[in-house]
Amino acid sequence: MNRISRREFLRGSAASLATLALTGAMTGVVSADEIEYGEGTITIWVADEVTEFTKTKAEEFLASNENYSGYTVSVESVGEGDAASNMITDVEAGADIYGFAQDQMARLVSAGALMELTGDYATFVAENNDSGAASAAMSGESTYAFPLTSDNGYFLYYDSTVITDPTTLEQILADCEAAGKGFYMEINSGWYQPAFFFGTGCTATYESDETGAFVGSDITYATDEGVVAFKKIIELAGSSAFYNGSSVGDATNAAAVVSGTWDSSAAKELFGDGYACAKLPTFTVDDTEYQMSGFGGFKLLGVKPQTEVGKAVVCMELAEYLTSAEVQLERYNEVGWGPSNIEAQADDAVQADEALSALAEQLAYTIPQGQYPDDFWTLSTSFGDDIIAGNYNDSSDEDLLAALTTFQETLQSYAG
Amino acid sequence: MNEKKLRSKSKHDRMVNAVIYIVLILISIVWLFPFVGLVLQSFRSYATEYGGMVAYMVPKEFSLDNYMWLFGSESSFPRWYLNTLIIAIFVAILNTIMIVAVAYALSRSRFAGRTFMMQLWLILGMFPGFLTMICLYFLLKQFGLTQQGAIPGLILVTCASSGMGYYVCKGYFDTIPKALDEAARIDGASNARIMMTIIMPLTKPIIIYTALTAFMAPWCDYVFASYVAFGYSDSYNVAVALTRWVWTNDYQGYYTRFCAGGVLVAIPVTILFMCLQKYYVEGVTGGAVKG
Amino acid sequence: MSEKKGLSSSVSRGFTRFGRNLAEIGTTFKEGDWTAKLSFVIMGFGQLVHKQFLRGVLFLGLEILFIYYMATFGAAYLVKLPTLGTVETYVDKSGIVPITVYGDNSFLILLYGILTIFVIAAFIFIWRMNVGQQRQIQKLKEAGRPLPTSIQDLKSLLNEHFAATLLAIPNLGIFVFVILPIIFMICIAFTNYDANHQSPTNLFWWVGFENFKNLFSMGTSGYGSTFFTVLAWTLVWAFFATFLNFFLGLGVAIMINKKGIKFKKLWRTILVVTIAVPQFVSLLYMYKLFANDGLVNTWLLNLGIIKSYIPFWSNAMYARVLIILINVWIGIPYMMLMTTGILMNIPEDLYESARIDGANAWQMFRSITLPYMFFVLGPYLLTSFTGNLNNFNVIYLLTQGNPTSMSLSGGAGYTDLLITWLYKLTVNDTNYRMAAVIGIMVFAVTAIISLVVYRLLPSVRDEEGFQ
Repeated sequence: MNRISRREFLRGSAASLATLALTGAMTGVVSADEIEYGEGTITIWVADEVTEFTKTKAEEFLASNENYSGYTVSVESVGEGDAASNMITDVEAGADIYGFAQDQMARLVSAGALMELTGDYATFVAENNDSGAASAAMSGESTYAFPLTSDNGYFLYYDSTVITDPTTLEQILADCEAAGKGFYMEINSGWYQPAFFFGTGCTATYESDETGAFVGSDITYATDEGVVAFKKIIELAGSSAFYNGSSVGDATNAAAVVSGTWDSSAAKELFGDGYACAKLPTFTVDDTEYQMSGFGGFKLLGVKPQTEVGKAVVCMELAEYLTSAEVQLERYNEVGWGPSNIEAQADDAVQADEALSALAEQLAYTIPQGQYPDDFWTLSTSFGDDIIAGNYNDSSDEDLLAALTTFQETLQSYAG
Repeated sequence: MNEKKLRSKSKHDRMVNAVIYIVLILISIVWLFPFVGLVLQSFRSYATEYGGMVAYMVPKEFSLDNYMWLFGSESSFPRWYLNTLIIAIFVAILNTIMIVAVAYALSRSRFAGRTFMMQLWLILGMFPGFLTMICLYFLLKQFGLTQQGAIPGLILVTCASSGMGYYVCKGYFDTIPKALDEAARIDGASNARIMMTIIMPLTKPIIIYTALTAFMAPWCDYVFASYVAFGYSDSYNVAVALTRWVWTNDYQGYYTRFCAGGVLVAIPVTILFMCLQKYYVEGVTGGAVKG
Repeated sequence: MSEKKGLSSSVSRGFTRFGRNLAEIGTTFKEGDWTAKLSFVIMGFGQLVHKQFLRGVLFLGLEILFIYYMATFGAAYLVKLPTLGTVETYVDKSGIVPITVYGDNSFLILLYGILTIFVIAAFIFIWRMNVGQQRQIQKLKEAGRPLPTSIQDLKSLLNEHFAATLLAIPNLGIFVFVILPIIFMICIAFTNYDANHQSPTNLFWWVGFENFKNLFSMGTSGYGSTFFTVLAWTLVWAFFATFLNFFLGLGVAIMINKKGIKFKKLWRTILVVTIAVPQFVSLLYMYKLFANDGLVNTWLLNLGIIKSYIPFWSNAMYARVLIILINVWIGIPYMMLMTTGILMNIPEDLYESARIDGANAWQMFRSITLPYMFFVLGPYLLTSFTGNLNNFNVIYLLTQGNPTSMSLSGGAGYTDLLITWLYKLTVNDTNYRMAAVIGIMVFAVTAIISLVVYRLLPSVRDEEGFQ
């Protein structure tokens, strides 16, 4: 017997011993105290803003229970996008606990980068978070992460000294054109395009199973409603006031930007006294008015699959604590992240927040973002790039429908 | 008649020179513009003015806020800078040793498999490097040279394959007459001695050229460096750290700080380059030309 | 020329050499004394008996090391290489928390499997060397000559074998960090290693030529048309990036070097700054400069030259042209430096005699300067062309390959080179299987172009041309 398989054998038997002990625990023979907690370092990857905050909180938590005394934390600022792609590249070297935007979840699950939440943890997620957040943390019937924020959606930031009426897209564009300013919206992104498509009544959702694989889709872009939305996007892209972009820090000529809460301080700085936010405007095509829709998205905190029971339990407990009502509220006070926890959402300060209330108003018109395959975003970008490049400027309705049919069929091919 | 022709020629010449001056001045403006812009932006305060993108070049008020922030307690910029400096120095020294060793051996010795080796290396050089990134990452990880160990890891990877870049250096060595070696050999000097005492002193330009190019490369390396650091921020180099500020949404309004960081990176490299420019030209023309 | 017909003859030569090797091993065993025979199994034994301690210890040490490596590490991976692992990872959900029990890691099996094959090959080589030395000992003893001592062996490293000493470490480095990874990635092209088959959670396995079929398939899901679009742009780009830079750089050099132009050093220094400033700084700045709401558009708008902004980066044609122009900005200084040096080397009497023949400036440029430049810089231009085929930085820092389009698959964009596309496939999509196939294609394109152009180079065709 060579060394490798022997090690595997030992590891396997250790796991089954632990299993025995835990089965005991569940039947009440062995209490949780008898878990061998062990020791080590727990690595956490979160966005730059909350690095210090998370470090403090995590250290407080470990200090609060002497079972965890063998553990130390190491918190790194790794943005949500980088965290997901790093975890997929090398799970082993990745963080034990990490924050990510929900659109990455299915990928992470199928790459084996998320530990499933079972029993009490799954119940905790289901009972304490708004329903959108709780379902965002699920793939199939399984829960895979702790909701961290419910503010990953978008709405309108605008300069009230330029924009006279933020309720219709046509007026916003007219005001911008008159002032020589820009309306910024990232229409070559699969995340922002649905503002139009969902607004006219189209749908685009996927169904994933507990392994993170996509098994079904419901996409209705190749319809008359789809053509309406498509035409509006083409019209918008043709406006001289239109700029493709969503990042306030990069916008040099903005009077209005469609973006999310993460940009609120940058927007305040940019618009100064004129700073204002609102739900997304309506748009009119052939005398019919539609309300812009979009995604209500969430940020999640995941735990990497563990091979040792002790560390797995500590990581789970820590992740649960970091997403609890108390910590979410503190995090809101510290950096302004909108809570996913129902109790924290009810807090007065959260209720009074300008950006968050604009988001909340917009949320009434959006759909909670479920799981989407990575190719969905890539193809949507290509779709948007074609619009911006003017490839559809002279197309007839039939041509547009044909383009949407191709788009829809390709999107559907990503499932199953 | 002859005199007239001469005068008209010199008049024509003056015209040509004037056109050339205009072209050169235009070129200078175009070439310097980005740097002037970069430097000017770096003086726009992120705190009192605006740290994001703006559509004007000259800041309304000059301030050193960005620079102060970089060296303040909030940022690890000095650490990243030091990392890069360490990498650059080690790479410059080790790469030069490797390249000189290879170039000398290939230029001065004829041995079985020499052509095979040179052809093999040439072919290997045609494989795109990015392809092997993931594999190199896991190799380094096996030696513990990722994340915390990323700095030595980067140095190791860069130097290990540097021998393949012998081309220019060998070209330079080829221009040194073999008669020098022969004379010394007759005097009973060993090959190692000939290399150290006779050939090396004659190759100062190419050595400086090699070291200089090796020194400059790590300041630009962000793709592989970010791979190897793998989320461990203490191991970032400046390129990895600074590109994050313009590419990640987490860092709104970091643009002027990026510019300030960029200026600080550019300064030492530029100064060094200016001082050693003479050798650079000699190395490039002397080596590449002979090939 | 001789290399061309060489292939078949070198194969047959290889066979003959192999046969000769076998024969010599046979003779060594037959004619050798008992120490030589024992050395076939215990390497270095013969040398130790004959007091060649350094050699003996080295061979023995290597053999022990090899056996240890195989027993503890290599064999296990080698056995699994044909399947790339069969034990699947599973999650044990019976406890409070699910516990993952990892199975085989296909990635490591492939990597260490290949490594082990090389270790075995190296061992056979060393073993052959060992046998060869037994033969040498025999012969020297028969001739009654002394055997080389350890001290002599060491000294030879600085004299007769100095080249080997110098090349040992570079070769080792290149082997581990270049050759091994390249062979590994070539193998990946024949597996299904992608986002759905990611180690250590999932296994991947050999799939033969499936990925290559996918690359050349023209259907909607295939990469065929995208591949050729990207390839065509890659070639166009490399052509312009090389030759436009060359001519403009030469032009600038000639202007600066013209007699009567003052401040030569200043002009050169201004241009050279671009080499010294790291590209990630200057190119990112350039990108923002030409953004829709960047400085260039803002100024043009303010001056009333344009009515609405020019979409420099979102229109494929504009983006391509702009990239080439910005690359001129990067490339001219290098070319200027190089050509300056060469211009000064052109013998003045060539011009002198041309002038006597009544040639004007343009004629002299065409018939003297340019041929001389091409002759001298030929090899450099070739390397720079192949370098530009793989010029990752300029493209990625400026456009990241964008704009993309529905008519291109695999997330490729209109300014993507094969190399940036490959990068996006690896990093964004973890689609290693296709990235590996594209990587092999990049290699093929580079190799073919290099071979063809190399034969056309004046300095290769006519070695004595300008001497």
